[in-house]
Amino acid sequence: MDFDLNEEQQAVLAAVGQLLAQRAGAERAIELAKKAEYDGELEAALSKSGFLDVALDVEMGFLEAVLVTEAVSAAAGVVSIGAQLLVAPGLTRRNLPGPVAVTRLGHRGPVRFGAHARTLLLDAGDEARLIELDPSKAEPVRSNFGYPMGRIEIDPIAGESLGPGSGATLRNWWRLAIAAEAVGSMGSALDVTVAYVKQRHQFGRAIGSFQAIQHRLAQCAVLREATRWMVYEAAYKGAPADATATAAAYATKAADQIFAETHQLTGAMGFTREHDLHVWSMRLQALRLEAGGIYGHQRAAAQARWLGR
Amino acid sequence: MEFEWSQEDREFRRELQEFLDENLPGNWDQISKDGPGSDAQAEFASEFCPKLAQKGWLTQNWPREYGGRDATPWRHAILGEEMWKRGEPRSSQYMNVNWVGPTIMRYGSEEQKAAFLPPISEGRATWCQGFSEPEAGSDLVSLRTLALRDGDDYLINGSKIWTSYCNYAQHCFLVVRTDPNSKRHRGISVLLVPMDTPGIEIREIPSLVGERYFFEVFLSDVRVPISSRLGPENEGWEVVTYSLAFERVGAPRYARAALTLDELAKLAEERGLLEDPTVLEKLGEARALCEASRLLTYRVIDLRAHDSPPTADTNVARVAGTMAERAVSELAFEIFGPEALEYGHSAEAHYRLAMTAGVAVGTTEVNLNLIASRFLELPKE
Repeated sequence: MDFDLNEEQQAVLAAVGQLLAQRAGAERAIELAKKAEYDGELEAALSKSGFLDVALDVEMGFLEAVLVTEAVSAAAGVVSIGAQLLVAPGLTRRNLPGPVAVTRLGHRGPVRFGAHARTLLLDAGDEARLIELDPSKAEPVRSNFGYPMGRIEIDPIAGESLGPGSGATLRNWWRLAIAAEAVGSMGSALDVTVAYVKQRHQFGRAIGSFQAIQHRLAQCAVLREATRWMVYEAAYKGAPADATATAAAYATKAADQIFAETHQLTGAMGFTREHDLHVWSMRLQALRLEAGGIYGHQRAAAQARWLGR
Repeated sequence: MEFEWSQEDREFRRELQEFLDENLPGNWDQISKDGPGSDAQAEFASEFCPKLAQKGWLTQNWPREYGGRDATPWRHAILGEEMWKRGEPRSSQYMNVNWVGPTIMRYGSEEQKAAFLPPISEGRATWCQGFSEPEAGSDLVSLRTLALRDGDDYLINGSKIWTSYCNYAQHCFLVVRTDPNSKRHRGISVLLVPMDTPGIEIREIPSLVGERYFFEVFLSDVRVPISSRLGPENEGWEVVTYSLAFERVGAPRYARAALTLDELAKLAEERGLLEDPTVLEKLGEARALCEASRLLTYRVIDLRAHDSPPTADTNVARVAGTMAERAVSELAFEIFGPEALEYGHSAEAHYRLAMTAGVAVGTTEVNLNLIASRFLELPKE
């Protein structure tokens, strides 16, 4: 057991942090959101520097991949980072052309990155399917929830089957990706809220000095810390069903609470597009609803632990 | 990062489990039903702990010079997990190993170390914790018990409350005010007081939590030598906070909660309840809370393994532990229904233990205060 980042991991985080400081951030996310655009430039820069290959790199692996996913998510990068860094290499053992969208048979409503994706990973029940998409035929969908979205007509026999049982593997990696992205978003949502309550004065004092507010943020901090370690452990173990479902169950429930608390504590300012909170908070709700949502993850966690499925 | 037990740690856990299978009697459920403070469990521990000590396991994470084996804090965490899973057969002695001993190692004189550490590592010491007072609970620094110098002695007057295990403890780790004109954190000292010193009286407070769980300790003109003081005079708050950092994640409650949850799931399956998606969801949610608690506790152990000073991670872990215990005990009620109302029923026994989680060893509110100030650096008034 060792919870410290090794030198390699620290170096990866420092390098990706530097790149993200130049090319991502709330301001850029807000600008891109105006036209529901995908950040192809950021994806290209991440790719050029090798960050999209870390999962399958012989010297690195999925632990490094979740660290990069978390960092990109914390910097509000508008790229399909979890799908590209975790789901695609975890499921297919190769890197797939991005953007990558993930959805499942029977899904209703828009899909994250569905208007831009060149690759679709489909949870078709027992099997997973890899489907090439033509982004020029995509149907963008307007959404408030932090990511560019599109509607995808799902053809259950399109593309390539990844074999019997691959559906379960996809769901495991998908859950890990959702939880890893949630860690980054909840961290930044919390950070901007903590900064806000320190500088916002009412009744003659910083509102962050009121215990009623401190306790709620402290509870959010517990949720964020726990989610991080659950994600790291699940990645280290290679995304088994129980650890990924448990991490996703916890992460999505935490996301919901952190959404509610950060918005409550930033008041009306948090509902504006002039404050950065929405960049991360709205994403938390999109993540929360994916892949079966909180209850689906909870059932999967129980089934994996006690029913062996 | 590495989330895997070493081969040696896995072997140790297996050996320990076998040892417990062999050394816990057939009627252990009966012995342990009233909690670690009960006479039956304390008596059992007085024979069981020396056996653990003989195996070299009781204080294995201590330095060799104090009767340990220089084992990692991880090894000690495994011991704690396996003990709590079985209802803590060490009884109160877990406290000695977790925080009384380490605090004496850090602040004790050579004489104190020689007098107090060997009995602990041999499994024959019993301690109680004299912290809370009727008017000093969460706000511990408002404590009033006075120890005034009188020649070569301290003369102690005051009272302590909620003092578990004082009915049989040999010594009390007593927090007092040594400067009568002091306030708050200043003027506090720690004294190591033999419980058979004249002037100490105890009274049991009947409780819902377990047999012989709560006591009041009254100190009237209790005289102890100045050499009983642990650490600096009037600057003992540092000693107290040091001990608390060890204590707050001392008991791996998540291990018991996770085990209870496994038993609940098995029972739910036998009763056909796993067909109900709501039951599955509640089980999955509780499982996630147990895992969160386990990992946050491991984070604290990891910091200790890296010799980092105590941080608010301890408080984070404690809050998560309380959430897990509550979720599991409430779910046990839901699954068993009115069966859980019978004293000694497994759901009832778990609930009895779990309901104290948010209060014992510092309330959830105090832990949240500390997370807010130290972890989030939120401003004071």
